[in-house]
Amino acid sequence: MAKAVIMPKAGITVESCIIGKFMKNVGDTVNVGDVLFTYETDKASFECESTESGEILAFFFEEGDEVPCFTNVVAVGAKGEDYSALAPDGAAEAAAPAAAEEAPAAEEAPKAEAVAETTKTADGSIHISPRAKNLSERAGVDYAYATPTGPNGRIIERDIRKLMEEGVPAAAKAEEAKPAEAAQPAAAAPAPKAENGYEDIKFSGIRKVIAKSMVTSLSTMAQLTNHHSFDATAIQAFRKECKAAGGDVAGITLGDMVLYAVSRTLLNHKDLNANMIGDDTLRRFEHVNLGVAVDTPRGLMVPTIFNADQKSLLEISKEVKSLAEAARSGAISPDLLAGGTFTVSNLGATGVEMFTPVINPPQTGILGVCGITQRVREVNGQMSIYPAMGLSLTYDHRVVDGSPASKFVSELCKNLEKFTLLLAK
Amino acid sequence: MPKSLYYGPNEIRAKSIITFEDIPVNVYNKSVAEERANFKDDELVRIYRDITILREFESMLTSIKTQSVYNGVETTYPGPAHLSVGQEAACVGQAYLMTPNDYQFGSHRSHSEILAKALSSIEKLSDEELLKIMENFLGGSCLRAVEKMGKCDSVKELAIRFILYGTLSEIFARKTGFHMGMGGSMHAFFLPFGVYPNNAIVGGSAPIAAGAALYKKVNDKDGFVVCNIGDGSLGCGPVWEAFNFACMDQFKTLWTEDNHQGGMPILFNIFNNGYGMGGQTRGETMAYDMLARIGAGITPSQMHAERIDGFNPLAVIDAMKRKLEILKKGEGPVLLDTLTYRFCGHSVSDQNAYREKSEINDWMEVDPIITYRKNLVDAGVAADSKFEEILAETRERMTNICRHAADKEFSPYCDFKADPQVVERIMFSNEKVASFGTDEPRVMAKKEECSRVQQIAGKSRFYLDEKGKPVSKMKTFNYRDAIFEPIIDKYYEDSTLVAYGEDVRDWGGAFAVYRGLPEVIPHSRLFNSPISEAAIVGSAVGYAMCGGRAIVELMYADFIGRAGDEIFNQMSKWQAMSAGILKMPVILRVSVGSKYGAQHSQDWTALCAHIPGLKVCFPATPWEAKGLMQSALNGSDPVVFFESQRIYDIGEQFHEGGVPAESYEIEFGDTNLVRSGKDVTILTVGAALYRAVKAADELKEKYGMEAEIINLHSLVPLNYEKIVASVRKTGRVVLVSDACQRGSFLNDIAANITEMCFDDLDAPCVVVGARNWITPPYEFDEFFFPQPSWIIDAIHSKIVPIPGYVAENEVSEVEWLRRNKAGV
Repeated sequence: MAKAVIMPKAGITVESCIIGKFMKNVGDTVNVGDVLFTYETDKASFECESTESGEILAFFFEEGDEVPCFTNVVAVGAKGEDYSALAPDGAAEAAAPAAAEEAPAAEEAPKAEAVAETTKTADGSIHISPRAKNLSERAGVDYAYATPTGPNGRIIERDIRKLMEEGVPAAAKAEEAKPAEAAQPAAAAPAPKAENGYEDIKFSGIRKVIAKSMVTSLSTMAQLTNHHSFDATAIQAFRKECKAAGGDVAGITLGDMVLYAVSRTLLNHKDLNANMIGDDTLRRFEHVNLGVAVDTPRGLMVPTIFNADQKSLLEISKEVKSLAEAARSGAISPDLLAGGTFTVSNLGATGVEMFTPVINPPQTGILGVCGITQRVREVNGQMSIYPAMGLSLTYDHRVVDGSPASKFVSELCKNLEKFTLLLAK
Repeated sequence: MPKSLYYGPNEIRAKSIITFEDIPVNVYNKSVAEERANFKDDELVRIYRDITILREFESMLTSIKTQSVYNGVETTYPGPAHLSVGQEAACVGQAYLMTPNDYQFGSHRSHSEILAKALSSIEKLSDEELLKIMENFLGGSCLRAVEKMGKCDSVKELAIRFILYGTLSEIFARKTGFHMGMGGSMHAFFLPFGVYPNNAIVGGSAPIAAGAALYKKVNDKDGFVVCNIGDGSLGCGPVWEAFNFACMDQFKTLWTEDNHQGGMPILFNIFNNGYGMGGQTRGETMAYDMLARIGAGITPSQMHAERIDGFNPLAVIDAMKRKLEILKKGEGPVLLDTLTYRFCGHSVSDQNAYREKSEINDWMEVDPIITYRKNLVDAGVAADSKFEEILAETRERMTNICRHAADKEFSPYCDFKADPQVVERIMFSNEKVASFGTDEPRVMAKKEECSRVQQIAGKSRFYLDEKGKPVSKMKTFNYRDAIFEPIIDKYYEDSTLVAYGEDVRDWGGAFAVYRGLPEVIPHSRLFNSPISEAAIVGSAVGYAMCGGRAIVELMYADFIGRAGDEIFNQMSKWQAMSAGILKMPVILRVSVGSKYGAQHSQDWTALCAHIPGLKVCFPATPWEAKGLMQSALNGSDPVVFFESQRIYDIGEQFHEGGVPAESYEIEFGDTNLVRSGKDVTILTVGAALYRAVKAADELKEKYGMEAEIINLHSLVPLNYEKIVASVRKTGRVVLVSDACQRGSFLNDIAANITEMCFDDLDAPCVVVGARNWITPPYEFDEFFFPQPSWIIDAIHSKIVPIPGYVAENEVSEVEWLRRNKAGV
C-alpha cells in the first residue's frame, strides 16, 4: 500500500511551510532517509527526508506551494500502485489561491492570469531567463520560489516580480537590501529603472518582517537609551587568560562575558527581564532567556539562549556560536528564534561608540554592546589611560524608569569590572 | 526620346540581307627598314628596352616562386604569380602611343601591361611632372624609398625604379607597395600614369572599363580607355554585356540634347594567347574560330575589329594608331584581337599538361625578344652589343629593385599588431562630397520647371492632414517622391551625377521614381541601359573609379544575382584593395517586389550585408528614404539601397511633422524609433515594419502589452546603441523582416544582441522571417511572409506567454526540427 510523506512541522509556532525544491522525480526509487524536498518557513530552510521506501508515485504540490504542516506531500509505494487516497483534500487548490490572487504582472497585461506551468522542466532542473535571474539576485529573492510562466517552464522576469510583490519570507538575501533602501516605502514603484539613476528593490520576506517589527517597536513603546561605560581591563585580562588556556575556553569572547554578566545581573532587575502583555500587564520571568542579535545574509535574526542565568560562561559561549551559525545558514529552528526575555545586540566589533538599539517587542529592554575606546581618567592626581567599553541600554519607559534602568547598567558595569568575582558567585 | 525612333512595320519587315566587311587578319607587313621613316632609331631601341624590362620582371617572379631566389636575392612570397612571359611585345606596342590621360584596365595577368603603360607615360612626361607625381603619391613615401636605392642619373631612371619598386613591393604585400600591399599582384595599378586596376576576376575589367569610357564621354574628358582582357574572358557574360553597353545605338541616336552624341571612347583589346588557363579557346572552348570575328556580331561597324600580330610590337603600334583615329572621330568602340603566346604556365603550378612542349618551342623560336632584336640589328638600327648592354642594365636594375623590395626592414609589411585598424580604416572612405564635378551641371531646364517638382510642392508631407484625417493617395508625398527629391536636387548640384538602369527614363523606372526627370535631365545623364545587370553595376564601378557619382538601378532585388561579381567583388572591394586611393560613390537601387512570384519577391539584404565594403540600407518610410538617399548621395561609399514595392505609395506615418521639404541626412548606422514601449522590443527591416505596427496595436489593445518598435533602416553600418538600450529596458526582442528566415541578416543582429545583452534577456531573441520556400503566388502571401499574428505568436510561444491569447501558427520544437532537417 502506498504511503505518504508529510510536510513536517518545523517548529511549535509553524503552521505551514513552502516547498523549495524537489530533489527527486516521480518514478525515482527512494529509501528512508533520502532527501525528498526542501522546505522553508519564514526564517529558515530545511530538508525533508523520506519516511518511506519505494518508488515516488506522485508529488501533490509544486515547488513554491505553501503547504500546511502534516499535509501529505509525496506518495511513495510500489510501481503502479493507486495513491489517490493519499491526495490531500484541496491539493489542487493549494496552488490556486496564488494564481487567483496574482497581482497584475508588473509589466505585462494588467488582466494577467497565471499561466499554469510546472516549476520543474522535464529534466527536473529549473530554467530561468538571464534577466529574471539577474533581477532575483539584485532584489534578493530566491528564484527557486518563483512560479514559472514562461515558455517551456522557464522562469521569466514577471515571475520574479510577482515573487517580489508577494514576498516569500526566508527567501531573502539581505546583502543588497541596505538600510537606506529598506527605509523606502514598500509600496514604491516596482520597475527598476537603471536609466533614471536609481533602482527600486522590493523588500524580501525577512526584510518585511524586520521592517514591521521595528516600526511596531518604535511606535508602540516609550523607548529611551542610557549610555554607560566601564573599565574593560578585567575582562580583557580574563580573555587573555582564556585564550592562553586553549581548548573550548579559548573561544570565550568579551561578548560572551557581557552575556554572562547580563544573565546574572538581570535577576536583580526583574522589570527588564519581562514581557509586556497588552497595555497594562507586565510578565516578569524567573529565568533569563537571552536573545542574541545575529547579523545573517538574510538580515537580522535573534536566536535565544534559554535559561542563560543557569548556564556557565563556557556553555553560553558555545551555545552562542552554534546558534549564530545555524541562523546564518538558515537552518535554525523557528522555536529558537522566539521566547526571549531580554536581548543583547553587540556591535562592538564594528567600532560603534554608542547607539540606540531598538527593543524587540514584547520585551522591555535591550542592551547594546559598544566598542572599546581608550580613555583618560584621574587616579591619585595622575592621568592614566584605561580601556573603556560602552554599554547602551534601551528600555521601555512605560515599564522602567530612568533610575532603576541606570542602576541595572551600573551594576552590570561593576560586575564586568570585577568579572572574576562575578564568576565566583 | 525613343518615341522619336519610329519602329514601323514597313521598314522592319522589308526584305534585305546583312552584309559584312572583310575582317583584316595580320595584315601588317612593313619591315623595320620601312618603319625607320616613322620611328627614330632610339625609339625603336627603347621599345626593345621596355620589352626586356617586362620580361625580366616576370622572369624574376618565376625564379622567386620556383627557386626562392633571384640573382642572389633570396626571397619568396605566398601570393599569386600569373605571369605573361611571351606577351611583352604586345603590351609595349599597345602602350606606345598612349598618354597618361588614356586609361588602361587589365586582367589577372597584367604585370606587363601595367609596366608597359607606366614606361610609356614616363617617356612622355617631363621630369618636372614626374617628380611632382612621385612626390605627391602617398605623401612621397614610395619616392623616399626609391631614392635610397643608390645613385640615379636621371629623373626618368628614378621613375622607372619607382614604378618597378611600387609594383613589386605591392606584389610582395608590403606597406611600401602602391596600395600598401592590400591589392597585390592581381589588383595593382597606378592612376597618375593612367594605369587603372587590373582584376582577378576573368573579364571583370570589361564592364568597369566601359564605365570609365562613360565617365570620359559624359564629363568631356580627354583620352580614351583600353580594356585589356584575355581570350578566355570571351566566355563570360559580363564581357558581352560590356561590349553591347559600350556600343549602344542611343549614343548616336539619342544623346543629342546636349551634343553628346558619338561612340564611346573605348578599345576592347583581347590579348589572345590561345588559352583560358588550360582550356584552348580556339578549337576547344570557344566557337568564334578567329576572335576578331565577334565584333561583326555586335555592331554594324563590326567594332572595327581586326586581328593583329602581338609578337611584332610595330604591328601593334600600327594598329593602335589607326584605331585611335577611329575613337577620336567618335566612331568607337573598337575591338582588337591581339595575338600573343604565353611561354610560361598559367601559374607556377601549371604543368602544361594541355599542350606539347614542341608547341611552346615553336613559339619561343619567334619570341620577339629574339626576332625584334634581330630585325633591328639587320636593319642597322643598332649594333647587337647595344642590346646586350640593355639586357645587362635591365638585369642589374631589377636585382637592385628586388633586393630592396624583398628586404623586410626596407620594405616592411603593414603592422597588424601595432595598428590593428589598418584595414578597418580603408574599408570605407566616409567622405562628404557635395559634388565630384567642377562643371556647371548639364540640365535642360530649371528644376522648378519639372512637372514632378511642381506636383510634389502641392502634396502633404504627412499622411494625415491638419485635422488628423488621412490625405488622399494622390495628395500624399510618398516613398517614391522621397527618393526622387534628393536625386533631382543632386542632379543640379553634382555635374558628374548619372543615373541609369533598365527603363529608368521614359518609364521613369518600373516604379516611377524618376518620373518627370527626363523633362529636365539630358540622356547623357539619365538613360535606359540594356537589360545587362552586370554591365549596369560594373560600369558604375568604373564610372566612380574615375571620379564620378552614379546611381544605378536593378529594378528587382532578385536581379542582384545577375550582377553578383560586380556587386560583391568590384563595387564592394576597390576602396580597400586600393588602400583608399579609389573612391566608390555608387548607389545601387534595388527593389524588393511582391505579387510577382518566386523570382521577383526576395529580400536579399543578407547577401549584401554579408559582403565587407558595402553599405546597405533599407528605408521603410518616406522620411527614412529621403534622409538615407541624401546621405548616400553626399557620401563617397558604395551603397546598396533597398526599396520595397509594397510601400512606394505610402506617406510618412511616424516622423513628427512629416518629411521635411528641405535637405537633411540620416546618418548610416542610425536606427529609427518608431514607437516607444516597455514590454517587448520589435526590430523591423523593410516593409515588415507596417505589419509589426499592426501587431503592436493588437498587443496593446487586447493584451495591454506595450511594444517598442525600432526600424533598422541601415543594416551596414549599424549602431547597436539604441537597440541595446531598448533590449535592456524590455528584456524581450522579436526581429521581423520579409527575408527568408534561414540566413536572414536578422539572425546576425539577434546573435549580437544575445552577446551584448545576455544578462538582460528574459527570453531568446526570436527572428520572424518568411518561410524557407519559394515565394508562392501573391494569393498566398499570408502563408509565406510574416504577418502580425506571426509576431504575436512568436512573443506568446517563445518569449512570454500572453494570458488569454491563443496562438494561430504555433510551431512546436518537433516541427521546427523537422523543417530544418528537411531544409525547408
